[in-house]
Amino acid sequence: MPELHNVIVFALAGARYAAELRWVREVITLGFVTEVPTAPAGLAGIFNLRGTIVPVIDLPALLGIGPPATPRQGDGALLLEADHAVAALRVDTIDEVGTLPVGTSPGTVIDARGRMVVIADPPALLRRAAAAAWAVRGIPPPDDDGLAPWGADGDGGGAGGGLG
Amino acid sequence: MADPSHDPTGGDDGGGGDDDGGADFGADELVMLRQFFRDEAHEALETVTARALAAADGVLAPDAVTEMMRVTHTLKGSAGTVGLRSVVDLAHRFESALSGLRAGQISWTPAVADLVVEIADGVRSHVDATDAHAAAAIAEKVRRLCGLLAEAPGPGAPQFADGELDRTTEMPLRRPRIGTDSGVVQAVADEAHRTSTTMRVPVPAAGDGSAAHDARSVLRVDAERVDDLMAAAGELLFDRTRIERRVQQLRTLARDLGRTRQTLRDDVTRLRGADSPEARGALELRLGAVEAGLAEQATQLAQATAALLDDTEALRRTIASLQKGLTRVRMQTARALFTNLARSLRAVARTAGARVELRTAGDDTEFDKAVAEQVTDPLVQILRNAVVHGIEPPEERARRGKSPVGTVSLAARQEGNLVVIEVSDDGRGIDTGKLRQRFVDAGQWTASKARLASDADVLAALFDAGVSSRDEADELSGRGIGLDLVRETIARLGGEITVTSLAGRGTTFMLRLPVSTAVSHAMLFKVGGQVYAIPNVHVERTVAVEGDATSLPLDGPDGEPVPLVALPQVLATPAAPPAAAEKRTALVLGYAGKVLAVTVDKVIGPREIVVRPLGALLSPLPLFAGATVSASGKVQLILDVAHLARLAHPGAGDDGATIASMEPRQLAGRVLVVDDSRAIREALTTMLAREGWIVDVADDGSRAWQMAQQLRYDLLVTDLEMPRMTGFELIERVRGDDGLAATPVIVITSRTSPENRRRARELGVRSMVAKPVTRRKLLEALPPDRA
Repeated sequence: MPELHNVIVFALAGARYAAELRWVREVITLGFVTEVPTAPAGLAGIFNLRGTIVPVIDLPALLGIGPPATPRQGDGALLLEADHAVAALRVDTIDEVGTLPVGTSPGTVIDARGRMVVIADPPALLRRAAAAAWAVRGIPPPDDDGLAPWGADGDGGGAGGGLG
Repeated sequence: MADPSHDPTGGDDGGGGDDDGGADFGADELVMLRQFFRDEAHEALETVTARALAAADGVLAPDAVTEMMRVTHTLKGSAGTVGLRSVVDLAHRFESALSGLRAGQISWTPAVADLVVEIADGVRSHVDATDAHAAAAIAEKVRRLCGLLAEAPGPGAPQFADGELDRTTEMPLRRPRIGTDSGVVQAVADEAHRTSTTMRVPVPAAGDGSAAHDARSVLRVDAERVDDLMAAAGELLFDRTRIERRVQQLRTLARDLGRTRQTLRDDVTRLRGADSPEARGALELRLGAVEAGLAEQATQLAQATAALLDDTEALRRTIASLQKGLTRVRMQTARALFTNLARSLRAVARTAGARVELRTAGDDTEFDKAVAEQVTDPLVQILRNAVVHGIEPPEERARRGKSPVGTVSLAARQEGNLVVIEVSDDGRGIDTGKLRQRFVDAGQWTASKARLASDADVLAALFDAGVSSRDEADELSGRGIGLDLVRETIARLGGEITVTSLAGRGTTFMLRLPVSTAVSHAMLFKVGGQVYAIPNVHVERTVAVEGDATSLPLDGPDGEPVPLVALPQVLATPAAPPAAAEKRTALVLGYAGKVLAVTVDKVIGPREIVVRPLGALLSPLPLFAGATVSASGKVQLILDVAHLARLAHPGAGDDGATIASMEPRQLAGRVLVVDDSRAIREALTTMLAREGWIVDVADDGSRAWQMAQQLRYDLLVTDLEMPRMTGFELIERVRGDDGLAATPVIVITSRTSPENRRRARELGVRSMVAKPVTRRKLLEALPPDRA
């Protein structure tokens, strides 16, 4: 039997996604979002969350499966944290918190009501976003030789096979 | 505030304008001594205040009186030493009045406690006073207060009513303001580590918080914390040396590779022209050797690169520990802040005629001095609100079944990298229903908005500008800063403030603040509708330019054109393409000796900002050095001037000058340096690298022996006394090895005894260099064909 994990299910650009709860620090609404020129597609701006600068991830743009969106103040978001990297994943709506057999087949699962849910793997998403930012600089992200601003090790493969 | 060091006349404008010259000292010395005196005076008076406040509503312990008298006495002596006669006089009067307390002639009552606090404040104002007239006026009041204290009633005598005393002792209270109030700052700073072993670290005025502009702002720091910093700074030097060495090594390798390529090309040319099989055979052999050489160089390149990565990592760690250490240096406990607030609360309560007790918790919570300084005014404002609006009159409290004395609590605690400060009162609370009505009446809210808003929304709206929960500005809360300014100040620090309230039960303000903050000065400007910042140190001036200009004519240091970077283009986003403009404003920037200009849409002006990191995801972007948060909570990006300079001067190396100066004169060879002292290894490495040597190091003889067997060295430089294998043992082994026997050896030692010299000579040591090693001594010792 595939292992069941606690997930938060959210809707974004017409699709349903699930992210494992252990990577979600909190559900927030975005503050005023400042655009970051030269930032890669998928990193749609930054905002101030209680004194910390937090980047906003635009999931469809990051994955290259949708046009870039402009996140706005008041939009809902999941505050993701993995490997010391923190980012807010903008969502349209939060649907539910439940359990899903995450980590079986890559990509998608079917929930109890027979609907398709795309598994979003937050550590992989954060790594992908970081790699995109390093690509702007023209160099690959530092590997796990300790120079990385956040280690590439970690238990990032948690929801293995998910998006990202 | 008086700052003698900035006073061009050199006259004494502090301490009430009395100056008998301090004949023992020169003018400069006196300035310095009086600065020290001020610090000392603040500390002494703070002690008196803290003692008085601690006992304000209770019993004054005999040791507290003794302590107050002791510090006052010391103050008198110090003031005399630096020639401030009026302070001597005031301290004397104060001490005499206090002696009445000790002798039991004066009863310790809240009124007396107030008097003591007021005198201490007064003496401090006198010490701080900037003009002689004001100082004299304050001195007069202090004298009067001392008289009152001396005549305060003893046991059995009828006591003053509070109000009566207030009237007679009225004096200008030093009201905290937004901005620099060094009296407060000083008090906080002095309080910080009063009981610990301390040393003084003057804070440089540049690039620091607003308070630090005042040269009198002084940090008191545990010596141990400074030691940690010194250690980290020392480590930084080592890191630099190592990285310089690696760069040196890489340059040498690049040169070697160039030579190998030249040899290769020559040999290939010869090979093409060679006609005899013998010649071809010989050339092929040579090519094999060249290939072997290339292989070795490739290995070395890989090793050097790996080592450089290690060194960079070490540097990163050192910088991190340095940053951490600096943060710790600026840390102080909440106790100082609370003592300061306790005084303000008393003053407010006295003026408002309210009876309030202060409770504190979490006094040992640590946070940045700059944070403490900047939250003082907002907290004072919140305390005032609590006393004036929150705490009910005693009869009303009695009706509600509350104790007649109101309670205000201050609690600090750390949560992750945030400090949380809670200010609570047990007063009447905020009636959100009335507040809704008030918003509607004032036309700020529509009726439907007021109906739909949650209680939390209503309370949050208290922080909006122009909202006052009372109709008229009263004497206390109507002045100074309102809650909108409170929120703005907190937001500028990167913190946030929230309020909760239970009608009839009380109100709690919660401040969440960063533990640490670094304030710096930046030039703010607008591009594409967003605000950006550039550190002000790099901004030289602003000029007007044509919209399509690519350089400023003849404006560089040698009259050459200054390159222009069009920020509207650089910072364009798909959502905000650059707008055309006929005229633009340009900021002329200087960075690392280079001049450049950047065009912007609009200059906003210089501001103090708190720099925050961009975080793991965005920090790779080369264009930005960080971000800051505006007063309204918006993030503003800080541009990296180094990157702008690279855009403006493509091709120029970041530190071309540094590398050029390290250019070796010639390739000298490969040397192995053996010493168990890291400092000496690093020093020798630097010196030898400068002379064109590729330097390897070993920390003892046995390690060196292993290395010498693996790679051929042109020179061995060794210490004598080392663990495991001594220098002489190493040299003996080298001399006993056929392949290595001829290696020139230089001995570095602190023991140049005749015995050592004889033994060195027998082992064929080229020369002995006595520690400490200098470049000259080393050059003299090097083989003549290589030096």
